Amino acid sequence: MSSNTIWVRRPTAPPAGDVSAPTFRLERPVAGLTIGLRTDRAWRSWQLISTIWDEYLRRDGAQTIAVETGAQIGQPASSDRKQINEFAGRVDAAIVGLGTCGSCTTFTIKDAVTVEEHEKPVVAVVCEEFTVHAHNVARHVGHSAMNVLVLPYPLEARPAEELQQIAREYYPKVLELLGVTA
Amino acid sequence: MTLASERVEVPADPRAQYELSFREQWGDGVPQLPATDDAIQALLDASPYPADHVVCVLPPRNGVATVELVAINAALAGVEPAAFGVVLAALEALSEPEWNAFGLTTTTSSVFPMLIVNGPCRDELGIDYRASCMGGAAGRGSMTIGRAVALCLRNIGGQRAGETTKSVFGQPARFGFCIGEWEERSPWPSLAQRRGFSADDDVVTVHGGKGTFPMADIHNDDPRDLLYLIAKSLAYPLANMFLGNVENGEVVVAFNPMWAERFGSAFPDVDDLAAYLRENAWQPIDLWPAANAKLLRERGRVDGHDRVHLVERPDQIVPIVCGGLGSLHAIGLPSFGESTMQSKPVVRRA
Repeated sequence: MSSNTIWVRRPTAPPAGDVSAPTFRLERPVAGLTIGLRTDRAWRSWQLISTIWDEYLRRDGAQTIAVETGAQIGQPASSDRKQINEFAGRVDAAIVGLGTCGSCTTFTIKDAVTVEEHEKPVVAVVCEEFTVHAHNVARHVGHSAMNVLVLPYPLEARPAEELQQIAREYYPKVLELLGVTA
Repeated sequence: MTLASERVEVPADPRAQYELSFREQWGDGVPQLPATDDAIQALLDASPYPADHVVCVLPPRNGVATVELVAINAALAGVEPAAFGVVLAALEALSEPEWNAFGLTTTTSSVFPMLIVNGPCRDELGIDYRASCMGGAAGRGSMTIGRAVALCLRNIGGQRAGETTKSVFGQPARFGFCIGEWEERSPWPSLAQRRGFSADDDVVTVHGGKGTFPMADIHNDDPRDLLYLIAKSLAYPLANMFLGNVENGEVVVAFNPMWAERFGSAFPDVDDLAAYLRENAWQPIDLWPAANAKLLRERGRVDGHDRVHLVERPDQIVPIVCGGLGSLHAIGLPSFGESTMQSKPVVRRA
């Protein structure tokens, strides 16, 4: 060490590894399957879009199960997470949203992880502004390969007709990410 | 003891270290002290834990906070060895699941850990609890402990504005927020005592606070009238507590010692005071436009008198005493909602 230099220690934690838990694909048509839709009671736009997707899935021959969450701590959160765990056990695949704020994106990914832990295909749905954050959270919880569908941002405050159009436009993409075949 | 962290050679010039903190993204925009082995070792010597002891795992990156890494960040912030235990206790507290660090470090909200210290260490460490305690008093303990916790979230947890944390505005407390309670001027047991600790314990309580919400009055001497107005002020219509689950979260309200004395004469039992605040912290449902009112009704938030209470229970309103003797003011520390405050004792090497 030169007299004009000193040694200091790096204050950062090592970066998370890039090893990811496996993801899953259906590799078959959706007819006859049970598809889960997880909504967050905070977002009206997502409730509309997921309702439309629910109709499309049933039109295409799937059964659907919906579950609504909205708590992050305490008894309501325990109840929500238990519900998600049961939901993950009952479905063949799931669509989990919506990540359109910081903490709701975090919990969208966490709930999608629960589905992947049941070795089921899952798509986490987030809005464009929160895409990087969603991938960060997924990576940091060891699920970096998780399927993430990115919707336009913002969704809130759009007229219903626009949300319906977005639901129509993105439905094939969510099926593609789940691995649905013709 | 051999330290495990990577060594970095830097010019001895403090300005070069300042530049390094920007280049490496180690910093908070303010100059840091060098984290030399001597400085780190002095902190480790004050801890009862070995350097490789894991204090917690910090989101959003799930960085593993060993005592050594925490000491490095504390050294950057200028934490005295005697104060290192407060930093460790604060990190232990905020990593409790019910504090919801994963949610709070990634949210669009401004929320950040606000540290409230009780016990004999307040004076010894320079933790501010008198005039300008929430900014400006410049006590060494308050400024360095709060900053060290913030640096740990940044450097170990990986919290980065706009990237891993989506906080739209942030808040000044994101540089670090650490106050004491003026226990000697409080008519009630201290916050730590109310949470099960003794008056001799040094305790840090971490609150997920959205900011500092100021209130003032010069026109009314009646304690009940004043508390009524404080309750109404805390129940502002766009508070987070009206967005989510009413049973989660706490609102901290800091009374100056002069007002606390007045309130204590009307409510010798702090639980009665909290109950009075809870009882009056509501707004009429008609205050909200139809879209908001519809959701509040759907979520069962409207009582039989068409009132929407801020919180479900009295214990969700948490009075503390601090600040100067100039009276006239109170400060609310509004809640994120989905976070429950946590307390941990400060543990030092025997």
